Formats: sequence, structure tokens, C-alpha cells
Amino acid sequence: MVEFNRRLQAGTNDPNLVFPKSAVPRWLPPQSGSPVWNDFFVAVEGSAVRGAYAIKHERLFIRGKGIVNIACYHHSLAEGIVDRSYASVGALLARDALARQPLLYALGMGGFDSPIARMIKALGFSLTLLPFYFRVVHPTKFLREMQALRAQRWRAVLLDLAAITGTGWLGIKAAQYFGRKHRGATDFVAEEVNEFSTWTDHLWDQTKSFVTMAAVRDSETLRLLYPPDQNTLTRIRVSRGNQVIGWAVVGERRKDEKFGTMRVGSVIDCWASPENAGAVVQAAAKALEKRGVDLIVSNQAHEMWCRSFEQNGFLKGPSNFVLALSKKLTELLQPLQETRPSLHVTRADGDGLPNNF
Amino acid sequence: MTSSIFDQIRTLASDLFAIPPSQIDNASSPETIESWDSVQHLNLVLALEEKFHLQLMPEEIEQMKTIGDVVKLVEGKLQTAPS
Repeated sequence: MVEFNRRLQAGTNDPNLVFPKSAVPRWLPPQSGSPVWNDFFVAVEGSAVRGAYAIKHERLFIRGKGIVNIACYHHSLAEGIVDRSYASVGALLARDALARQPLLYALGMGGFDSPIARMIKALGFSLTLLPFYFRVVHPTKFLREMQALRAQRWRAVLLDLAAITGTGWLGIKAAQYFGRKHRGATDFVAEEVNEFSTWTDHLWDQTKSFVTMAAVRDSETLRLLYPPDQNTLTRIRVSRGNQVIGWAVVGERRKDEKFGTMRVGSVIDCWASPENAGAVVQAAAKALEKRGVDLIVSNQAHEMWCRSFEQNGFLKGPSNFVLALSKKLTELLQPLQETRPSLHVTRADGDGLPNNF
Repeated sequence: MTSSIFDQIRTLASDLFAIPPSQIDNASSPETIESWDSVQHLNLVLALEEKFHLQLMPEEIEQMKTIGDVVKLVEGKLQTAPS
């Protein structure tokens, strides 16, 4: 595996193209009775590794069908990236994963045009983009640091001008303020908690019917995804009176050159019934603002959560975050046009944790 | 008269890789055809399976290094396929 990684690095210079060296995944290793775990697979030629991929086994709730076992296909890497004579390996990996678990999905992938997205589309996956939302906390820094907006010199000059004169600050704040449909709820309490315990289960049981599909979010699963010793993430419990009404997980993203020196917070995961989603979004955003982030981002699939983010001053931006569902998984969700708006998928699904959100 | 397996595969590859059939011979491979990348390799596998009504196994897909390999593989599979 070390040699395989070395060849990929030499051929691409992309530090992200590295497969874990250990055969046992550090994140979600297989454990007896665990509801969510990773498996690694390698394609070998003699003693040389020519490709590798991971699948995350998990349980999915589908309305009307109950709980089904599925898997997420991720970290697919093939020698064909650097050596065209191995062009067949990528296809082998994807087909191998599908043979092991026909109920498969993939998430992220960098857009419809990426090789992996095109490949799984050829295998009959249904592809859809997950909406992207952002809220600027510090407009001046956003205007100066948001590299994606500053690609052309004339735009960079305009953005600098907007930052200096304060018109940019005013424009962004106004857009976010007037985007809000109502004053936020104030009758709730948000608190940071160390772990997800049994209070999560009651909420999950009471509210899962609001979604057509979601990875199981009971306490057993959430404790594995967000273990108490994972201190880079903040777990927020939202209550009204004595009743827990929702929760969120937030964290600060690792540095990314497209955001310059900005500190970027992410609403990674969230859960609530429709009438309480707004309170959870407010609580999550406030926790990140308290941390001092300059920008807050989130990807959401469910129309209720999308609406709640918009109603809380988030703006919709261009997304390249793809959700891909295998043919067999799509069959379970038919008619997809009707079920798609209520799929609950966030950055915590797929391979997004613990660092890649 | 039906066209040979090579001709059929060449036509299929020509459509897939968007190059004239005349530029495809037995030695053609991902190294000589620019558009033959990993995605197109998968599309080639799927197209072969559909056209010739066969199922390619992982080790067979791995053998498909050149058009000549593909022709040999498909001919072999068709000969052993139950009629």
C-alpha cells in the first residue's frame, strides 16, 4: 500500500490521493455487533496493489420499508489515475463494491463531471446535487479571503473595494437579513453535551417518519459517529421545557485554500421534527459564531432543512456535492421524484467524518 | 454476411471513444487512445455485455488491455456460451 500511495503521489501531487496503510480502518473499524463500520478492499496484481476502496456499512431507515442494511462506497483509488494501462481497475473496483452490496450509495465526489461520478452513473446510479448553504459571519474577511470569488483580478479589486467602503458588509448583511422569513424562535434552550445517550432514541423514534430516507440516528449509532473523545466536534442538544426537540453536530473545517485564511464552521449533522428544525439551525449557527468562525456552511437534502436554513439567514450557493444511489437502492425509494425532497442526507453521511466535513 | 467480432468491437469502440474506426486496430489500448480512460473502460465493458449478451468477470475485465485482448476475450466467451 505504501508503494501504491507513493506512485499516486508521484503522478498527481495530490495529497488527498492516499489510501490508509493499515488494513484495519482507524475510523469505524469492524467490531462485533456494531451497526456502522468500514471495510477496506484492495485490487492486487502479484504482490502490487493496483487499486483500493472502502465501504461503510450502515443501517438506513426507509419510510414504509423499515430498516435496511446498505453501504457507502468511498475512497476509491486506482492505478489508472497515473498509469493508463491500468484503466480497467476503476471499473473493477466499482463493480466489485456493487457485487458485495447492491444497496450502495456514494456522496460528495466533487461534482457530476468527476471520474468517479461518471463511472457510477454508467453503472446506473441516480445522481443528484445536495444544496449548499452558507452564512457569512464576518463579511469583510469573507470579501478579502473567499478565493473562489476572487479568481479574476477585476473581481478581486471590486471585492477589496466593497470591503474597504463597507458596501460589501452592508450588502451581505442585508441579503442575509432580508432572506429571513420570520424572527427566529426564542423559546428553546441549547446546551453542549458530551455524548448522545438515550434521549436521542426517543426523538429518533418519534420523528423518523418525517423523512423518506435517513441513515439511522439512534444513540448507538451516534455514539460511534461522534464519540465523546472526539473533541473537535460540538454536540448540541436543543430542548423546550423538559422535552428534547432536536440536536446538531457542528465543527470547524480544516483549512482549505478556496476559503483563504477564513475560519469555516460546518453544521455537519442535525435532527428534529419539521416545526423544530429552525430552532436547531439557530442553535447550531450560534455555537459556531461563539467559536469565532468567519463563515458557516452546510449541505442539506431534506426540503424542510433547506427551508429552515434559508429562514435563518443562510444563502444558497453553488453545490458540487453529489448524492448517488445505486439502481437497487433507487428501486426502494420509488417514485424518486416524490421521495427525493424528503431524503435526509448531510455532510455527516458518506465518508465525511471525522475530518472531511 | 455478418461482420466479424473485430469489426463489431471496432465500431463499438469507435462510437465510445469518438475516433474513426480506421484509427483502431488490435494493438489499440488506453495508452494509444486518449479518450480511453477508466470511465470509458467501464462503458466499454457495459457495452460489450449488452451487445454480445454476456457477463464479464472481474479477472476478464482486468485482461482487457488492448482491443486485440477484447476481441479474443469476446470470441472465447461466445464460443463457450450455451447456444
